[in-house]
Amino acid sequence: MLRLIKIESSKLFYKLKSWLGPMLIMILVLTAFPLSIDISQFDLEKFYFSIIVVSLLMTSFLATEGMFEEDFEDGSLEQEFLIEQDFYKVVLSKIFVYVCFIGVPIALIGAIFSVANGVAIESFVSVFLSLSLSNLLLFNLFAFGNALSINKGAMLGVLTSLPLALPVIILLGTAIRSIQYGNGFLEIISLMIGMGFLISAIMPLIISTALKTHID
Amino acid sequence: MISAFIHKFSSPKSFVQITKTLYPLFIFTGLSMLIIGWTWGLLFAPPDAVQGNSYRIIFLHVPAVIFAELIYFFMALCALMHIVWRVRLAAYLIKSAAPIGAMITFIGLFSGSIWGIPTWGTWWQWDARITSTLILFIMYLGILTLHGSFSNLEKSDRLMSILVVIGVVNIPIIKKSVDWWSTLHQPASISVSGGSSIDPSMLYPLIISVIGLGFTLISLGILTSRSYILGREKNKKWVLDHV
Repeated sequence: MLRLIKIESSKLFYKLKSWLGPMLIMILVLTAFPLSIDISQFDLEKFYFSIIVVSLLMTSFLATEGMFEEDFEDGSLEQEFLIEQDFYKVVLSKIFVYVCFIGVPIALIGAIFSVANGVAIESFVSVFLSLSLSNLLLFNLFAFGNALSINKGAMLGVLTSLPLALPVIILLGTAIRSIQYGNGFLEIISLMIGMGFLISAIMPLIISTALKTHID
Repeated sequence: MISAFIHKFSSPKSFVQITKTLYPLFIFTGLSMLIIGWTWGLLFAPPDAVQGNSYRIIFLHVPAVIFAELIYFFMALCALMHIVWRVRLAAYLIKSAAPIGAMITFIGLFSGSIWGIPTWGTWWQWDARITSTLILFIMYLGILTLHGSFSNLEKSDRLMSILVVIGVVNIPIIKKSVDWWSTLHQPASISVSGGSSIDPSMLYPLIISVIGLGFTLISLGILTSRSYILGREKNKKWVLDHV
């Protein structure tokens, strides 16, 4: 498992577009949004979260786009399958690396920007935690969409995984409301942690079934 | 005996043969009940005390949304059969049911929008029930697109089945959305376990419409799946004999 994590980390490090691109887009959207509206007329603190949520959805999709495509095209996916005899560990380590190196920094950017736009500094940890867990869920779901469509383009990936991602967005919205109103956050975050564990355990299994179908 | 029946019925050949005799029965029952239900509902049921005659779209809207969910549930069961037991027929049925599901979901959304104008004052609202039904519609389109994306049909069948099984998570969300969130959409008026809040003079034609649409959709499903099966198995001897 450690070997796979090392391989995936070094692979991702050299794919600059995959990790730097989503972060830059996140920063760009969050910076451009207050500039595009008349902030004196809107209470930015209240609805800045909405733009964070939408940016999160967009960047997590961008980050996972082509997650398996390159490996599939150059044959390394097949090679890993022959070594490991299964895709479960490969997928699990790939998602782990993506969440750690792209998902968590994106969540950090989101939390910093929310504080910079008027959200109380005490909420920083709660916002960061909610965004990180949402990213964990979204990365798993988008990885599933990408595994299904593999080399058939982003459009198919969106069509297949976006409907599944929307419940996560609803959950994140509820978490953010609970932060804003100051009650019920613990219940929502516990639910998200539970879902995170469940999806992280089950989704690699489903993704590996989809990848096996492509290899067959 | 049951397993022998399932084994026999799960072959595309038996399905085509059995449904050939069932189709006239289903289409006749379906259309007759739809005509009775809609005539009763549209012409003879009393107007609603609050909504007047605009409520009559219920006789199309409610059956449509019920089957939008049921068709997906049926597809999920077929998908499970295809993944676990590799039943070919199950994949054929999913592929044939998906366009019908998409069509009926669209009808449900469209009729709901028409109903929304006089009752809510808006044809669309991003509320939990409507949004989750829209997600279901996108899901149907995703399934169809995914299946059409690969030249290897066996691979398409398998990937489509995986997606259908995962997407079933949306069905309880749609069903319970009106209870879990405060929505503009009203909670369910009809309950299988009793306690329906709708007057019997409106309930009976509604039930007849639901059953009628059910049989009509099954007939439509039989038609599409038969033609799809014959297309997929065109090189088999039994198809050449059949045609």
